[in-house]
Amino acid sequence: MTSETRSALSIVRLRRPRLSRKLLLLAPPVLAGALAPLFAAYPLRIFDLVLIYAMLGMGLNIVIGYAGLLDLGFVAFYAIGAYTYALLASGQFGIHLPFLVVLPVGGALAGFAGVLLGIPVLRLRGDYLAMVTLGFGEIVRILLNNLDVLTNGPQGVTRIDPPALFGVSLVSPLHFAYLLLVMATLVFAIVWRLETSALGLAWAAVREDQDAARGCGIDATRAKLFAFGTSATIGGLAGVVFAAMQLFVSPESFTFWESLVVVLVIVVGGLGNLFGVILGAALMMIVPELLRAYEDYRLLLYGLALVIVILLRPEGLLPRRYGPGWLFARLGAR
Amino acid sequence: MLFFENVQKRFGALVAVQDVSLSIPAGLITSIIGPNGAGKSTLVNMVAGSYRVSAGRILLDGVPIQSLPKHRIAHAGLRRTYQNIRLFDGLSVLQNLEVAVLPGALGTVLADVLGIRATDSRRIRRAHCLATLDRFGLAGLADRPAASLSYGNQKLVELARAVVAQPRALLLDEPAAGLNHAETDTLRRHIEALRGPDLAIVVIEHDMTLVMAMSDRICVLHRGRKLAEGAPAEIQAHPEVQEAYLGDPGATHAIAAAAHARRNQVRVRADRSVAWHRA
Amino acid sequence: MTGFLVQQLVNALTVGAIYALIALGYTMVYGVLRLINFAHSELFTTGAFVGAALYVVLGAAGSPGLAVLVGLVTFFIVGLLGVATEAVAYRPLRRGSRLAPMLSALGVAIVIQNTVMLVAGKRPLRFPAFLPGGPFDMLGAVVTLKQVAVLVVAVLLMIALELLVNRTALGVRVRAVSESIPTAALVGIDPNRTISVIFLIGPGLGAVAGILYASYYGVATFTMGFVVGLKAFTAAILGGIGSIPGAMLGGFLLGLLETFGTGLLPILSGGTIGTEYRDVFAFAALVLVLTFRPAGLLGEQVGEEAMVYKRDF
Repeated sequence: MTSETRSALSIVRLRRPRLSRKLLLLAPPVLAGALAPLFAAYPLRIFDLVLIYAMLGMGLNIVIGYAGLLDLGFVAFYAIGAYTYALLASGQFGIHLPFLVVLPVGGALAGFAGVLLGIPVLRLRGDYLAMVTLGFGEIVRILLNNLDVLTNGPQGVTRIDPPALFGVSLVSPLHFAYLLLVMATLVFAIVWRLETSALGLAWAAVREDQDAARGCGIDATRAKLFAFGTSATIGGLAGVVFAAMQLFVSPESFTFWESLVVVLVIVVGGLGNLFGVILGAALMMIVPELLRAYEDYRLLLYGLALVIVILLRPEGLLPRRYGPGWLFARLGAR
Repeated sequence: MLFFENVQKRFGALVAVQDVSLSIPAGLITSIIGPNGAGKSTLVNMVAGSYRVSAGRILLDGVPIQSLPKHRIAHAGLRRTYQNIRLFDGLSVLQNLEVAVLPGALGTVLADVLGIRATDSRRIRRAHCLATLDRFGLAGLADRPAASLSYGNQKLVELARAVVAQPRALLLDEPAAGLNHAETDTLRRHIEALRGPDLAIVVIEHDMTLVMAMSDRICVLHRGRKLAEGAPAEIQAHPEVQEAYLGDPGATHAIAAAAHARRNQVRVRADRSVAWHRA
Repeated sequence: MTGFLVQQLVNALTVGAIYALIALGYTMVYGVLRLINFAHSELFTTGAFVGAALYVVLGAAGSPGLAVLVGLVTFFIVGLLGVATEAVAYRPLRRGSRLAPMLSALGVAIVIQNTVMLVAGKRPLRFPAFLPGGPFDMLGAVVTLKQVAVLVVAVLLMIALELLVNRTALGVRVRAVSESIPTAALVGIDPNRTISVIFLIGPGLGAVAGILYASYYGVATFTMGFVVGLKAFTAAILGGIGSIPGAMLGGFLLGLLETFGTGLLPILSGGTIGTEYRDVFAFAALVLVLTFRPAGLLGEQVGEEAMVYKRDF
């Protein structure tokens, strides 16, 4: 091309507006929302599950990826959220509160449980913490299984009300796809802002060297408590939506395996990396679906995946440094 | 000003620090030395909050800090460096300093998260950290991961991290450990540049050259007790100090006697110059 | 009344002995590597199934001598599996964060459990009769020969371990390496070899515990390891993780706690709370002990000095 063209092109490039981060963030969900109606119910259900596990992963990522604490009982908060909706919006007790009311209640209850668990447990060494959280998760499941009067025991709670937003009843996977896209985007945005806030830096310092962090003036215990609280809240919110989607909950859905799946989502996808979490959720939901013929081998593959990833690529598929921050920097987005 | 008042530390039956009273004034560099096992590290760990004091008090500008948790001690104005460097390896050099000056209030964090225009304080924080790095000549390394720096630079970053919050007392635990002559010299200049009317500097060190060159006052610990205290020249000449290091009372006399009794003397011509061979 | 108490006591000691055997595996591995070997519970399960298979293959029916042989062979087979696990999944991760080995152990646990499931099937297996049956009366309680056999075997193994650890050169190496790997290396002990031995003995004992457990209850399922493992881990913590006598003590203690606790619950609560809360006891005990006295009864109190320089979580 001629030199005039080249200089004209360079001026045009300068004049192009800088990419906005908000736009970049909203583009994928909006695109997904636009394309969603083109899909059948079955793939949309998978998509919904991916979004739920992505939310769970983003929540647990705060504790494991940011603060560096191994929580093996995350399913407890998921369960608390789910059962909150199940008991407050179903025929179980005849209480029929609207979805938008129960959503924050479920999140808050789960968050409260997270803080309550955190207080005695956070001064423990990492491995002890892992065992105690595992034990806590199991205790919650056993209680759900046995407090028949409250939870209907192993039979679970049925006849849960489908959620209604602004008069529209959400029943199909497509409806939930929209709801989940909105929720997941919000959770992503909030967790991202947390990661880049002063609290996020405090978490990173605590993860690297808790003692040195204290020497720098960081209240490590309070920071860890916050991590537990926020992650539990997110878990609870995901649980509420899950119950609203399934219209049925039972203790069976909240075993240690669920906690493990979420751990895998983070570890395989990318520890401490929000993009990694989404990737992990997609892999963990889609791959087993593709390998449906080998259903029996599913858990075995999970186990192998965990060991192989830890041994060969401990940071996960998308390492921490290739997160949203890296993408924003690469694209020059403000 | 940092003040130790009859401080004692026992580990079961072992008394590591016995009735030590010490004052570290502001504006000076005070070194604490002593042979191994003297109780220097124990003392440091007590000040920093890692160990609980068995008896006595530690006062920072009149405020007792001996029973405060570590992060409260840091907020009270006491910062430290570590014998074996403890930087946040995965974070950048700049982030290492930012950690030391993070706001503690929940409100500011929430505002940060929700995107309310509180980001100016963040910019000010970063600017301050960069300025501090600049004082140590490390501004160019600000975005490098802390683990990727050379040992000497890592030591400086740790020092920068300790001073970025403008502490009132600075605790340096064997800052010269592992440094060669040139690096020790750089370190000394940086520490001396920190002298100020509002800062009490305490250095635990083994490197005698550094201690003698840098300190305004020296305190000698031996077997958990304060053995001597004073200006470098006094300490150097102090016979008990010498004996503590040599391990045997009366050793100094024996060595002096042997030195006087040497028959052969070697003379070195003072004006000897070096001749370079040119090929 | 005495009859009831003696009954519960025997039950408690029997189940406690099994917990103790498994707990030893956890405690020995933790003592040397500071690693919670999640895979240990699955090796317990594997032991039961391997034992059952060998029993059938060797036609050990009715012969106590052959049954002992099967136990021995199972000990070594599963022990070698333990050694292999350590070499492949834990040794490469010895340096670095404490998170990685734990996750690896979790993965190995899942792999082993599901391999057992795929090989042995999902349905519970009727376990062959290793132990002699026959109830007899003692102080008004019905005690079976099975229970006595379990106790005898378990106690013999524990005595053997004590002798090994405290009276042999190998035991010295084990104790040295558990104290400090670098120091042991400095005095000429090969840490890897000794760690391999620990991973032979620990899982081996767990495997025999698996045979005993499955014989006692008459059935083995591929999921039996999870809950029993958690309880045994609790026992190890209770007694003081890292301490061999602690694991033994903790095992029996947990057995007592669980048996008497669940035995008394319906009585105390007038029937509202039943024995299905048995498992909650163990988990609650785990949470409480780790929260308030992590060192357990006989464990090392991690002192201030250790915490400052060990750069713990």
